[in-house]
Amino acid sequence: MEIKIGTKEGVTVVEMCGRLDGSTSPQAQEQLLPLADSKCCMVLDLKECDYISSAGLRVLLMIAKQMTARGAECALANICDEVKDVMEMTGFSDFFKSFDDVAAACKTVRKKEEL
Amino acid sequence: MIRIDLHPTHTYKEFKLRTGKALPFGATIVPGGVNFSIYSSHATSCELVLFKKHEPKPFATIPFFDEFRIGNVFAMVVFDLDYEEIEYGFRIDGPFDPSQGHRFDKTKILMDPYAKAIGGRDIWGKDPDYSDIYQHRARIFNDDFDWENDHPLEVPTEDLIIYEMHVRGFTRHPSSGAKHPGTFAAIREKIPYLKELGVNCVEFLPIHEFDEFENSRISPVNGRRLMNYWGYSNVGFFAPKAGYAASGKFGMQVDEVKALVKELHKNGIEVILDVVFNHTAEGNEKGPYISYRGIDNRTYYLLTPEGYYYNFSGCGNTLNCNNPIVRNMILDCLRYWAADYHIDGFRFDLASILGRDQNGAPMHSPPLLETLAFDPILGKCKLIAEAWDAGGLYQVGSFPAWGRWAEWNGKYRDDLRKFLKGEPGLVGAMSQRVQGSPDLYRWQNRGSSASVNFITAHDGFTLKDMVSYNGKHNEANGENNNDGSNDNESWNCGHEGETDNPHINRLRNKQIKNAVTMLLVSQGTPMILSGDEMGNTQGGNNNAYCQDNEISWIDWGFREKNSEILDFVKNMIAFRKAHPALRNCQHFQNIDYMGSGYPDISWHGTKAWYADWSESSRVLAFLLCGKHAKGGTAMDNPIYVAMNMHWEMHGFELPQLPTDIAWYVCVNTDAEAGQDIWKVGQEKELDNQKEFLVGPHSVIILIGKRPAARQSDTQKTEARKNYQNKIKKNS
Repeated sequence: MEIKIGTKEGVTVVEMCGRLDGSTSPQAQEQLLPLADSKCCMVLDLKECDYISSAGLRVLLMIAKQMTARGAECALANICDEVKDVMEMTGFSDFFKSFDDVAAACKTVRKKEEL
Repeated sequence: MIRIDLHPTHTYKEFKLRTGKALPFGATIVPGGVNFSIYSSHATSCELVLFKKHEPKPFATIPFFDEFRIGNVFAMVVFDLDYEEIEYGFRIDGPFDPSQGHRFDKTKILMDPYAKAIGGRDIWGKDPDYSDIYQHRARIFNDDFDWENDHPLEVPTEDLIIYEMHVRGFTRHPSSGAKHPGTFAAIREKIPYLKELGVNCVEFLPIHEFDEFENSRISPVNGRRLMNYWGYSNVGFFAPKAGYAASGKFGMQVDEVKALVKELHKNGIEVILDVVFNHTAEGNEKGPYISYRGIDNRTYYLLTPEGYYYNFSGCGNTLNCNNPIVRNMILDCLRYWAADYHIDGFRFDLASILGRDQNGAPMHSPPLLETLAFDPILGKCKLIAEAWDAGGLYQVGSFPAWGRWAEWNGKYRDDLRKFLKGEPGLVGAMSQRVQGSPDLYRWQNRGSSASVNFITAHDGFTLKDMVSYNGKHNEANGENNNDGSNDNESWNCGHEGETDNPHINRLRNKQIKNAVTMLLVSQGTPMILSGDEMGNTQGGNNNAYCQDNEISWIDWGFREKNSEILDFVKNMIAFRKAHPALRNCQHFQNIDYMGSGYPDISWHGTKAWYADWSESSRVLAFLLCGKHAKGGTAMDNPIYVAMNMHWEMHGFELPQLPTDIAWYVCVNTDAEAGQDIWKVGQEKELDNQKEFLVGPHSVIILIGKRPAARQSDTQKTEARKNYQNKIKKNS
């Protein structure tokens, strides 16, 4: 899994490319957790992520929870239909705001940041 | 805090290992690895076998070193496993000596009895690869579901309205419109329907992992594949059925079930699981090695002195429930479902087996049942017994209860059915059934909430079929119509099966309404079979255990076609919920202990205060004094119910009410749709307050309440009094 970290108008945008599963989630967790501790809101761009396993979803949830706890927000963008479907079946979707594109996601989390 | 036992101490080939923890049993994710622990009293050695998911051959076999065994438990930690991508099993060596009860076979790969997720039948109905050496594959799952603030609801048993449901059958029919038909996720989609209906508890037919292909065959009658559709045959007690999960193909069934329970709870709906601890899917000596047989046959099963399997379950074998090891496994299992899945209660299939000793004899105080009754983790769980077994033990009314166990009341079902079809001699029995069967439960001081009342359940006719068929029509099951019960106490109302005859159809609808009304005004806990509320039919099949098709699946088209029935059931549920006098947890005392002028319950007939108890009587009425509701702690209206199961109309003289209130009609099943039931608060005042003509085969409900005109008069009087009091105080 390749993780590219950038910034778009003050929002941390993380592109996650490849499979997020049991073998790649420890690495993802290691890279994302420090970002979740910073003050910025975050958008996870999953355009190039075609599979997220149960361990992967748990990493995303952990990040989201950590950010919510300190008043920031984490949104998902460009989730493929299959992953979206699994998230709905298993209730993970209840914890995330997800958007069709990064711009819309950034707009929402920025609002939260301005509050 | 840094632990000092997180590093490997042994290596085997490329694997790093160390001595494991004996408890908990099963596979547990620990820092850096996975702890595997398995019990066997008679094994001589044990190996852990690891597969990559779905792969036919194992990629590793790791022996448990001698120092990894503590007592009869083999335990080790294997480090650096990608736990999501593996499946594990055991090879266990020991004696093969059936006469001594031992059937060890080192060539077999055995599933962990404590497996929390099981692969191999990930997608329902997908043909298995029978050449696979490991059919039901233990998997490892993270148990860190985020429940937020969810909590089992702890609704008092007598306030429940249970809805018995087959997970797949509920939404599998294309008419359900569900996104993932036949799954846990689809039930989530249908929660608004359940809420609209008004039920506050769903009871799932078995959802533990089972093999739908067990005893699968082609029906000689219609060429369709017959399957183990109901699932009363466990492969694993700790794992949810993957094939019921839309996410089963991704191995995420655990999360899907938990998400469903959480959402049901959010909507005020409890979850009861139908659990089958009486036998397993391994069958008799000819059955497959799945798990228990090869791990410790003599411990897990009840065996004859010659080493054959006792068959008290009618399914080939009998789990040795009162063996201390097996008892602990059952306790661990229920604790796991209660604590990790937030399950609100359990219904125990053929529960009488749970009270047999290791030789199969019924026990006076079975330790397993006592343990479950007093277990702290299960302390608020509902425990419901199907109080009989296939070995002839019938314990309805006498199941060892310790004040905790409720029962499926089979006598309620039988008596109600007979009374409904107009049999004579049932009035006395009916008086007991509508009171929560004090004849069965009072002697143990168990209260009416010990009685789970039902007229239909998965096993038998649907309600619509009960009024449409005199006999079973199970030909499609391929057993020459020999399977299924012959004691249905059903009545086809004049024609066997579907008909266009409007008179018969009207009578059938009325009989359905009569049944629903009696069920929902009875003390105890009512249970409705899912689909009955919309007149679902199985075409007269009363044993659809093998029918994974339109015979069993609920046809949601009936929702529109039988809206008359559905509306009636919804309003009747709302009526029960609105009236606490119908939901007492203790039996009536038949006296007036509140000084209201009326006993808590009184009996009537065509003449008020005179019930006709004679053999030929088919009519009975009763009056609940609202002031005794919930043992006198709640206020309710007087409720009068008259049941006329005679084929002629009868005038019922109404008991006199206190002068400030009058009789209002809530239900009259003889009336046309729209006039048959009145919404709570919109009941219709009777013109004739002295007598009610109850139609043939009909039931009425009346309540006593203050008429609207008089109500406003009273309000005015009260307002005047208040005003005068105020003036007095001020002066």
